[in-house]
Amino acid sequence: MAALAERHPGLAAWFGYIRRIPWLAFLLLYTIVTGGPFVWVALMSLRTTNEILDAPYALPSPAHWGKFAEAWTASKYGVYFWNSLIVVGCAVVLLTLIGAMAAHALARFQFRGRKALRLAILSGMMVPPQLLILSLFQILLQFGLYNTLAGLVLAYVATQLAMTIYILEGFFAQLPQDLFDAARMDGYSDFEIFWKITLPIGMPAIATTVVLNFIILWNEFLFAIVLLTDDDKRTLPLGIMHFMGAHQLDIGMIATGLMISIAPIIVLYACFSEIMIKGMTAGAVR
Amino acid sequence: MAVVKLEALSKRYGGNAEASVRSMTLTIADGEFMVLLGPSGCGKSTALRMIAGLEPISSGTVAIDGRVVNAVPAKDRDIAMVFQSYALYPHMTVRQNLAFGLKRRRMPAAEIEKRVASAADRLGLGPYLDRKPHALSGGQRQRVALGRAIVRSPKVFLFDEPLSNLDAALRVTTRNELIKQQHDLGTTTIYVTHDQVEAMTMGDRICIMNRGEVVQIGRPLDVYRAPADTFVARFLGSPPMNLMSGVLRRNGADHAVEVAGAVLPVTGFEAGLLAPFADRPITVGIRPEDIYESGAQPGCSAPAAVSARVAAVEPLGAETLLVLSLAGQAEECVARVGRVSAHSHGDAATLYLDAATLHLFDPQTGRALPRAAG
Repeated sequence: MAALAERHPGLAAWFGYIRRIPWLAFLLLYTIVTGGPFVWVALMSLRTTNEILDAPYALPSPAHWGKFAEAWTASKYGVYFWNSLIVVGCAVVLLTLIGAMAAHALARFQFRGRKALRLAILSGMMVPPQLLILSLFQILLQFGLYNTLAGLVLAYVATQLAMTIYILEGFFAQLPQDLFDAARMDGYSDFEIFWKITLPIGMPAIATTVVLNFIILWNEFLFAIVLLTDDDKRTLPLGIMHFMGAHQLDIGMIATGLMISIAPIIVLYACFSEIMIKGMTAGAVR
Repeated sequence: MAVVKLEALSKRYGGNAEASVRSMTLTIADGEFMVLLGPSGCGKSTALRMIAGLEPISSGTVAIDGRVVNAVPAKDRDIAMVFQSYALYPHMTVRQNLAFGLKRRRMPAAEIEKRVASAADRLGLGPYLDRKPHALSGGQRQRVALGRAIVRSPKVFLFDEPLSNLDAALRVTTRNELIKQQHDLGTTTIYVTHDQVEAMTMGDRICIMNRGEVVQIGRPLDVYRAPADTFVARFLGSPPMNLMSGVLRRNGADHAVEVAGAVLPVTGFEAGLLAPFADRPITVGIRPEDIYESGAQPGCSAPAAVSARVAAVEPLGAETLLVLSLAGQAEECVARVGRVSAHSHGDAATLYLDAATLHLFDPQTGRALPRAAG
C-alpha cells in the first residue's frame, strides 16, 4: 500500500475516499432521518393547510411568511410563547442556582447524613411524573397555586432538581480539593468560593444542565395540561395541541407553531454548544 | 516573620484506630526553613494542613508568634500555602491568580498592582501575566503558585511537595530558585516532602516523621551523620545505610563487633551504653561510602577487612555501586566506590569497612546508640 501511494499518489487518495464511503453513507442516512422531518416541518410552516393536503412534499411557492405573524397574534402563539418562556426561564434559573449549590455542598462538604441526603435527593429521579401528578395537583390546589404559572414553575423545579444535582455533583466532585483549599487560604468564605470558583469553573457542566433542562421543560406536556386550565396561561405544547381538533387538523398552523417553539432551543444550543463540548472534551481543570 | 510552635499536636480521623499525627512537638524559628520529611502516609501533610487551618486539630496546639491559632480560621492565620497540584484557578489569568488573595483583603488597587508586578518581576512571570494557567508550562505554573504566596507577604510559607510534579531537570533549577527566594524574603517556611535530596539541600533543619510521629529533628548533616534510629538511617541517604546483624564482644575495656566474619573495633561509644549488649546481637550500620575497595584509601581511618561476593556492579559514571553478599547476612550490602571498580559480577572480594564510622542500633527498638560527644 505504501509503495502504491508513492508511485500513484492520486490512486491512493481515491482508495482513501472509497474506504470512507460506508461511513459517509451512514452519516448521510442519519442526517436524513434526523434532519428530514425538521426540514419538512420548516417547509410546511410556510404553506397553507390546503396546499399541504394537495402536495405534502412540495416546496413553498409562494412562501407564506405572513403565517408566522398570524400564528403569533390570531392563533395566540405569542401568548403561549411568553408563558413558556416565563415558566421555563424561571424554572431553569431556580434549578441552576439551587442545583449548583446543593451539588457543591454534596461534593465539597463532609457532614453527618450526607450519603442519606444524597440518596434521598437522587431517588427523586426514579419516581415517574405520572405518579406525582395527582398529589402535586392536590398540593398546588391547597396552596392556591393551581392554574398559575408560579405553580408550574415550582412543579418543574421539583421534578428536574434531582437530575440537575446528579449531573453537577459528578462534575464538581472532580474539581481538585486543592483549588478550594487555596481559595480558603486566600481568605474566601464558603459562599464566595461557590460564586468565584465553583460556578465559573463548573460552567461547562452548568451549561449542560441549562440546555438539558430547557429542552425537557420547553417540551413538557403532562404537568402543563393538568396544572393549567386557562387558555391565557397555556404553554407552547398545549397551544399546539389546541390546533389538533377531533375532526379537523390545521396542519399548516401546527407546523408554523412548531417552528416558533423550536426556534428558542436552536438559539440556546447555538449559544451553549461550544462551552458544552469544551466541557465534555477538554480536561476542564488541569 | 514568625515563630511557629507545635505543641503535642495530634490528628485522629473518625473511625481510625491509629492517629495520623501523634503528639507532634516542634518549634520553627523565625525565618527558618524547616522541612518535614517522611514516607507517604507518615502524617507530614496532615500536620501541614493543621498548621494551615485546613484540617481541624484533634488535640494539642499550633501557635504563631505566641498566639494559639487552633480556633482561628485559615484565612486569618496570615499563612500562604503552595500546593502540590499548584491549585491555580483555571478560569483566571496569571495576574488575577496573583491578585485573588489580595482583593479579598480589600487592598487598594494600586497596591495590588504594585505587589503583583513586583512578584512577577521577581519570578520572571512578566510576559505571562495575561495568560491563563493552561497556557503555561509546568515550571511556569509552579512559579505562579509561588508568586501567589509571595504577593501576600505572609508570616509563614507552607509548601506541600511543590516540586513533585516537575520533571527531574526542572526540579533541580526550581529547587535552587526556591532556596534563593526564601533566603531573600526571610520568611518562616515549612516544607513537606518525601524526597530526601530536597530535604538535605533545602532545609535549615529537617524533621523526620514516621507513622504520625516525629522521629528526629536536626540539621540535615547532623541527622545524616547521627540518625536516631534504623528508620532514619534507612530513609536518609541514597543508597541507604547498610544495616547488618552482628554480635558485640567485650575484650577487657575495649569492645568489638563481629559482623560477617570480620571483627571491627568499636570506638567512640560510651562503655556504659555498650555494656548491656555485651555478647548479644546488635544491629550494625555503615554507609555505602564508608566501604572501601582498598584499606589504604584516603578517608578510611580504621579499615577492617571483610570478604564478600559481588552480586552486582552498577557503574553510574561518577561512582560505582557494588552490591555485596556478606556471610551470614540476610540482606545485601551496597558499597559506593570510585569511578572505576576492579571488581566484576560474581567475584569473591575483600572490602574494607571503616570501623570509625560504624553506627550501632538496639536490634529490639531500632534506637541508635549515640556516639560519645567529641
